[in-house]
Amino acid sequence: MAPLKHLEMENSIIDACFRDFCASHGILTVEDFLLHDLYELAAFAEREANADRLKEGITVMLSLIEVKCRPLLNGMELLEDLQRNKHTLSSGDNGADSLLQGGLREGQLTELVGPSSSGKTQFCMQASASVAEKQDGRVFYIDTGNSFCARRIAQFICGSSDAAALRKRVLSRISCHTVYDIYTMFDTLQGLEVALRSQVQMNVNEYRLRLLVVDSISSLITPILGGSGSQGRALMVALGYLLKKLAHEHNIAVLVTNHTVGAGESGKTKPALGETWKSIPHVRLMLSRDHRNSNCTISILKHTSMPSGKTVRTITRKDNQQCL
Amino acid sequence: MGEHEARGWIRSDETAKQMLSRVLGDRAFLLLPPLHRVPLRAGNVVEITGSSPTAKTQILIQAAITCILPKTWNGVHYGGLEKLVLFLDLDCRFDVLRLSDMLKNRLLEAYRIGNGAWWQLEESNVKTQDKSKIVYDEELYVSCMKRFLYLRCYDSLELLSTLKTLHYRIRLQEACGSQVGVLMIDSIGAFHWTDRLSSSLALDKNNRKSLSLTNVVETIVQEMKKLMQVHSLVVIATKATIYEEKYPTNENNRNISSHSDLFGNPSSKAQQPPFREFMPSSWQAFVTHKIFIRKSDDHHKSLGQQNLSAYLLEWLQPQLSSIDRFIVDDVSKLSHLQVLL
Repeated sequence: MAPLKHLEMENSIIDACFRDFCASHGILTVEDFLLHDLYELAAFAEREANADRLKEGITVMLSLIEVKCRPLLNGMELLEDLQRNKHTLSSGDNGADSLLQGGLREGQLTELVGPSSSGKTQFCMQASASVAEKQDGRVFYIDTGNSFCARRIAQFICGSSDAAALRKRVLSRISCHTVYDIYTMFDTLQGLEVALRSQVQMNVNEYRLRLLVVDSISSLITPILGGSGSQGRALMVALGYLLKKLAHEHNIAVLVTNHTVGAGESGKTKPALGETWKSIPHVRLMLSRDHRNSNCTISILKHTSMPSGKTVRTITRKDNQQCL
Repeated sequence: MGEHEARGWIRSDETAKQMLSRVLGDRAFLLLPPLHRVPLRAGNVVEITGSSPTAKTQILIQAAITCILPKTWNGVHYGGLEKLVLFLDLDCRFDVLRLSDMLKNRLLEAYRIGNGAWWQLEESNVKTQDKSKIVYDEELYVSCMKRFLYLRCYDSLELLSTLKTLHYRIRLQEACGSQVGVLMIDSIGAFHWTDRLSSSLALDKNNRKSLSLTNVVETIVQEMKKLMQVHSLVVIATKATIYEEKYPTNENNRNISSHSDLFGNPSSKAQQPPFREFMPSSWQAFVTHKIFIRKSDDHHKSLGQQNLSAYLLEWLQPQLSSIDRFIVDDVSKLSHLQVLL
């Protein structure tokens, strides 16, 4: 929390006198200020000897808060931002691309749900290869279960000529980070945010980060959930918002995976992480696999602009290897 | 005080007729489909509850479009309110493409209906009119999109600072012409868990208010009340259920229970909402209208289309005995199927 004292440097009106007045009403930080009824505070200021100066201080505080607020955008400005900065990235899988009308969208968080061995990690690696090869983007791959495999990614690269050089170039754009708990996860993401922000300021002319993969996010969150306490869920929501913020402000497509759990006695399965997590992803895709013929189907559980329930059958994963 | 000033002070500000038209203008009933069962007026706070996904944002966007469309434009009737919409996105997953597509759809539809009447008058023109040539009015589209104002917040503090300064910003926007008609919040419980966590961080000294859930929500309600005093607004907020559904979702069961309520004690249903309430009492007291949406068990099959989920919309406050059943189709259009009694 930012103490009011720190504001004095740039705003002389927030002096010791003003701070004393605020402190007498329990306001020590900017956050305290937000919780207070300012009309009431101004009425209290009226009773003081230096009422005008105090009221001016309140106005200055309010304008400081206003400066920090995000601007109001109208529909046309939103559309312009979308068309200029938020492109769709091919996931490398034709079925998924046609289902999603182009692929993964920058600025959005896409969640892949599926039981074990339904092809979630394969999908992530294929998408990484595709973004690094075809869209010249960098990929930040967070691996929480030691399932990242560079050799497998290399298999997804299907350039025709000069394969070795291309493979090297593509793989160098993918960075893998192993993270085993949610606190390291926050560290990693905050580090990434700082790096991205300084990159924007320095205007570095290198390949832009376009895809952030977390495989799997549920293995980070599940251990902290459970019980009636709110701490685990608060961390989960905070992580979700951090990912969405990164996605939106830096125009990154975020892809996370989640496993399934059994739902009651009916024998059905449902996505893990429960009811609260449902409000986090923009797009939720369900992967399922028929093990007899190794056919994969992808269906939309939730999409911001499509009705849920659409399904597509994707090519079998074995076919992909023939790409080599 | 001079005589002139005194006369000016005594002289009435407006005639009764002027006042009536002003009041009726300010406090006019708004019919915002699909929430048209109950007419809404400025000052109302509507809460739409449902688990995700139950087309809550969809309903907001549909209502927003009615609000930003003009009543008529170049002789075509659009039936809108021509007011600004303020959309506070707390879920941070609003997709402007959907708004844009739905708006285009509405414009084309209204245009088609408008022209249909005209075709009947002049039959000779039917042949010359090429169907593919029908396009929406770009100028109208842009002016509608500009009436949609959007703001996103990543945490409660951002929401609080937004609300604190919203009055000034609304005034700036209203200076351009239209008034703000609806304030939308999607969704109000978004920061529930993070706020609950900060409740446990006690601030012991100096009678400081802690950033607890109750305090934060209380302040949000307070700021919104202040906003509604100076601007005539309808507030529509969605609320995602954050607990697993423990009640039977079978609609037959629900119907039976609601009918038995009619004979038994009608208040029992109001006391027991079909979901677990988690918002603090300050918010619950602020809400004037409550709607509950849930997924219907049976899917709707239409020709050439895949299964589309159907949803059931129920008014809890004021309590209506009818339940609307609707689907969301491919073009993100929400269509009413039937009313279940």
